[in-house]
Amino acid sequence: MRTIEIGRLLRAGTSGFVVGCRVSQLNTPSFGSLVSVSLEDGCQIYGLIHDIRIDDDGLVRQLITAEGVDEAIIADNRVNRNVPLEMSVLAVGYRQNGKVSHLLPPRPPLCLDVIYLCDDEELCGFTGSGRYGYFRHILRAAELPVGELLAAHLLQAQAAHQRAGDYEWAISATKELIVLLRDDYPTLMTAISTLGDAIPEIWDMKGL
Amino acid sequence: MALDFQQVREQVRQLGENAPQREQRLKELRDQAHELLQQNAHDLDRLRAKVQRVVQQHDPSLRCALPVQEPLTAHFALPALPERATILAADGSQIGLDRHAETDYCLINVGAIQMRLASPEPPKPTVSCRLLYDEQLYTPSGTITDATLALMRDLNERTILARLAAQAEPPVVTFTDGPMELWGGKDGDGEASEFQKSLQEYLGVLAQLCDLQAATAGYVDKPGANLVVRLLEVGLVPEAELAEIRRRRPLRGVTDADLYRELLGSGERSPVYALQSQSARNYTQALALHFFYLNVGRPGKPWLARVEVPAWVVDSREMLDGLHAVLVSQCRTMGSRPYPYLLHRAHETAVVSLQEKEQVTQMIALELRRRGVQIGEVSQKQAMKQTAGRTSYKG
Repeated sequence: MRTIEIGRLLRAGTSGFVVGCRVSQLNTPSFGSLVSVSLEDGCQIYGLIHDIRIDDDGLVRQLITAEGVDEAIIADNRVNRNVPLEMSVLAVGYRQNGKVSHLLPPRPPLCLDVIYLCDDEELCGFTGSGRYGYFRHILRAAELPVGELLAAHLLQAQAAHQRAGDYEWAISATKELIVLLRDDYPTLMTAISTLGDAIPEIWDMKGL
Repeated sequence: MALDFQQVREQVRQLGENAPQREQRLKELRDQAHELLQQNAHDLDRLRAKVQRVVQQHDPSLRCALPVQEPLTAHFALPALPERATILAADGSQIGLDRHAETDYCLINVGAIQMRLASPEPPKPTVSCRLLYDEQLYTPSGTITDATLALMRDLNERTILARLAAQAEPPVVTFTDGPMELWGGKDGDGEASEFQKSLQEYLGVLAQLCDLQAATAGYVDKPGANLVVRLLEVGLVPEAELAEIRRRRPLRGVTDADLYRELLGSGERSPVYALQSQSARNYTQALALHFFYLNVGRPGKPWLARVEVPAWVVDSREMLDGLHAVLVSQCRTMGSRPYPYLLHRAHETAVVSLQEKEQVTQMIALELRRRGVQIGEVSQKQAMKQTAGRTSYKG
């Protein structure tokens, strides 16, 4: 298993957590990526990145007013200075004793715990387990851009499943979404429309 | 109530009432100073001789500018940046002895930062901390004071620059915030011997920088000095009245920045002056202190800084021009608030926050407790200051 460390935990709750990282660590994680963090008892919590924030400070604001910023100065602010970069993660499940659950984790991770980006094997393992129960957590988060988050996640998960030889996962996941949102037409249409933009070929897939 | 705003308001009203008159008087004095600067622009020998006469016969503590060889109204355009150079900046901060705290200690933290000109590599920060405790908290004249600590900080700043300059690829340009001249105990003061010791070490470090041929400077932002103005005053006072020079301040209120703000274009520097002062006599030959004014602002929005430099920098046009160009370039990096970028970064690296101070105090208290050593208590006064403010009932 290939693990990429993307940062450390700043603060957490049962339903999600916030990860801090250096700008130089920001190359790999992206919006919708599945990440994991291990608790001391062996429980592994999974979450989806739903927001990446780069805050400013007085010096950065000041440098913006200069005509052209030297490369070394940009590097200094990205590498040396404590530029606050935060990623918000929505908890979507956990793995305990080898078994994946799409329920909320039993307890949140602790501050400074290391957060890893899940590789294809882990992504397929988590998303292919059960009946997409973790979609509930995404659909319940009304304050998030649900359609965009679902589309970004499905796009990444579909690619991982296809690389593993599974071409049916995206169709099955979309069908489940339609079922879950059958009573919420506006959200369903937003999600379907966004999914259509992100994965146009999904409409040509057999069975949908 | 912490402040009686009614009382303050009345005094603010009086301040405002007098302001237009004061401003008008200052404007007249500034105009007079400008005229004097023009009249004396090429009279360098006479001014130098008169200053020396005043120092020898009337006022040895006279503090003013001493013209070197450039006319007083000369202004020098921004030179090209050197093709390559290592730039080093240092700044320091300190935690002073707090008799109200539970433990006795001082701390000096010096931050330095180094970058290569025209290199995309990020600058390299360096931090050097020194904790002072036990016997180190005493000087021959008593307990360590804030002034002694500031002296040690200044010395450490220059020392770290010399150490880094020795390892850096030349040419090297170094600067710190504030004047290069050290300030300390006067004769008769209990701290005078301590100051002399630090001064000798400081001169030694400057000599190292001189040997390395590193351009060294002290950068004074928003200078309020009147060194050139004082020179003009000396020039203005008739010979017969020179004995009264200490009390003769015909241009009081006018600053050097007033003189050069309009004279210097964006990026230009003033003539270089030598520093005439009692303490400047400690700096001789290659280490003799000089200064010039630099307009680091934009066209139409001048902003002056005073740059203090030793004689070895003044004597090398290449070094002086390199320093001039690097400082303006550093200031322009900061856009609308011209101040050398690396000095700001050195400050960021060195500054000790109140929270960090509390952490150091806790670290020391824990270490002492771990070893079974009794630690003191916070003073009642401090404890009362730390009590929480009024709380509200939330039901």
